[in-house]
Amino acid sequence: MLEIQDLTKKYGKNLAVNHVSFTVPTGQVGILLGPNGAGKSTIIKSIAGLLRYQGGVGIEHMPARTLEAKKVFAYVPEVPAMFDALTVREHIEYIKRAYDSDITEEEIEKLMKRFELDDKQKKLGRELSKGMMQKVSICCALAIKPKVILLDEPMVGLDPAAIKELKEVILELKAQGTTVLISTHMLEMVKDLWDLVFIMQKGEIVGTFNREQEKDADIEELFFQITEGGESE
Amino acid sequence: MKGLIYLYKRTVINTIRRALKRPVTYIWLAFGVGYLAMMVFGFSMMIQEANFGTPENIVAILSIIIFAMIPGNIISYSKRKGLLFRPSEVHFVFSAPVSPKMVLMFEGVKSFLGNIVIGILIVVCGWMWFHIAIGKLLLYFLFFVVFESILEASIIIFCFGNEYFGEKFFKRLPIVMYLFMAVIAGTALYKLVNGTPSFALVSDYFAMPVIQLVPIVGWNVAVTRLIFLGPDTVNLIGTALYIISVIGMFAFAWKMKCTGEYYEDAMKFADDYQKIRENQKKGIANNPWKKKNTLREASVEYKGAYAKAIYFRQMLEYKKNRTFIFGWNTLLFLGLGIGIAVFAVFNDVAGEFGGSKIFIIPAVVSYVTFIFSGYATKWSRELENPYTYLIPDSPLKKLWYATKIEHIRAIVDGIFITVPGAVFLGISPVMTVLTVLLYICLNANRLYYNMLADALIGNLFGNVGRSLVKVLLQGIAIGFAIVAAVLGGLFLGVETGFFIMILVMGVLTFAGALIASVSFNRMEVLE
Repeated sequence: MLEIQDLTKKYGKNLAVNHVSFTVPTGQVGILLGPNGAGKSTIIKSIAGLLRYQGGVGIEHMPARTLEAKKVFAYVPEVPAMFDALTVREHIEYIKRAYDSDITEEEIEKLMKRFELDDKQKKLGRELSKGMMQKVSICCALAIKPKVILLDEPMVGLDPAAIKELKEVILELKAQGTTVLISTHMLEMVKDLWDLVFIMQKGEIVGTFNREQEKDADIEELFFQITEGGESE
Repeated sequence: MKGLIYLYKRTVINTIRRALKRPVTYIWLAFGVGYLAMMVFGFSMMIQEANFGTPENIVAILSIIIFAMIPGNIISYSKRKGLLFRPSEVHFVFSAPVSPKMVLMFEGVKSFLGNIVIGILIVVCGWMWFHIAIGKLLLYFLFFVVFESILEASIIIFCFGNEYFGEKFFKRLPIVMYLFMAVIAGTALYKLVNGTPSFALVSDYFAMPVIQLVPIVGWNVAVTRLIFLGPDTVNLIGTALYIISVIGMFAFAWKMKCTGEYYEDAMKFADDYQKIRENQKKGIANNPWKKKNTLREASVEYKGAYAKAIYFRQMLEYKKNRTFIFGWNTLLFLGLGIGIAVFAVFNDVAGEFGGSKIFIIPAVVSYVTFIFSGYATKWSRELENPYTYLIPDSPLKKLWYATKIEHIRAIVDGIFITVPGAVFLGISPVMTVLTVLLYICLNANRLYYNMLADALIGNLFGNVGRSLVKVLLQGIAIGFAIVAAVLGGLFLGVETGFFIMILVMGVLTFAGALIASVSFNRMEVLE
């Protein structure tokens, strides 16, 4: 479970996120939708513990900044950054040790194959393209075997095969009881994935939709209903 | 923790392996060893001749280092700088289940390793040149590596990880440190003005009890004095206070609550530092921490098409800039020009230099051109812009219009550095114009030969290697021009010789530009 309580973030005098609260229950996929500059990445970075903020963030009922919470939490940033001198495989190995993950060699191999990285395992971080970095970043997050995973614009830079694979992985994670939060503005990419949608505008949540309640409504329609002057829940 | 150790180990192993595969590593290694040998030999001679190798002098040198280093470290750490986190660390380390204090120590290791290297250097230098007993040197090494590292680690945690004291405290701390350094420098200057200038004065200064009892920094000096010069009341008190302060700082840092709020500053610094590294790779010297200039409204009339559009677009960008095409370097050139004029006024130039006085400004101009070899402006960014390559025009024209403003700027800079001095040196108008032309020519030569070196060797020898090749190419061109000038001067007179020099330089520069224009042919050349 991922809980955000009254999260507020200011950059100097600019209010980036204003008293935002929402919860993604265990085993559900939450989508943080909003136009550029709405505050999505600020929320994601706050949850990941990269920013100072006011309010509370809970991961599996633990404060997000505690080491116990971090052990079950994975984060895929919008812009991946690799260690120059580490190979693809060594990135996974580092994650395995840093999180004391019980991922096996076979599982790593399978993961690499799924994201077409099996023949690039010896490539150094500095030699990877943006798309490959994104794939490594996703594999590293999955190697943690997290209970809560945060993906910030995960589809950007991925090829169609990797996008298809990632969508499948997200549905598998959901089936395993992992809580997923995806920040994106690519509505098309997440229309089959969502359980909850949080629509953001100018640092605030202006609409929240639950798939069950909305009876499988189209995410695109819901988004424009809110952002183009409709009513919010 | 296991992850951080693995990360460190693999990074070191992979970096060494990669370096060993590159032939350039061995060239640099040989160069480094040779340079070190020269330094050792040179210093040995100097220290022996000046009879400088005494324990008092090593204590004075170490005291200067201590007084410069510790406040400097505190300033950078309290500004949440000084530790260079990379974006990869922000991505993979900050969100990992590792204590934020441990993350700080992971980054600080580079600094602590630096302490070991400095410690070894002190031991070697102290033994070789300052005739200090090995026992004392080993004791100092222990102090420097162990106590200094504990103190530095505690300062890092206190400054970065502190969530008790607010932002205001850490904004004021550097100011206090700057004031402290100013007071120290001021009192040192006062002592210098009122005494006979000599290195003994530095020793006397750091021997003062008031200096040895300055918290942390002075106490550190007291320990150094105790180890190398033997005990006295002041250094014993200072040493006791130092040990207490290290233990106190360590205990505070250990107990202090730190949840990782500093990650935000570290992430911002990592992004800024990444920009610096990228710019350095491109040879651009800029300061991303500087506040961005606000641009004003401007317009430009495009008088021409194709490659000319590059020039007019650059002009539009510069017109939006509050200082137009000028910057700090323009002021520097004016300052240098005024400096030469002042030199001419206060010295008997005609008596000292005779007819050679006409070479004073060219000498300064050549030197300035040489040391500003890394100075890059808007034109270099044209090479990163795909649209530059898509414009349907010849590479040579693109090169000319992309760099045209640089030549206009060179005219202004050349006038600023030449005219004030020329007036007071009593140099003829013809020679003055020729000197301005020389600067324009040298500047163009540097610009095009830099591009030529990039096109020829790319990144084969790294940044330093590339800079050396640039200097070599420019040196060859200047050499040819000087030979031509000397021959012209001998047979046809000084002014004609000067003109021939500019002419030869111009031809060589054009030839360089012609070859370098290949850079505007394909973007791939740069990679």
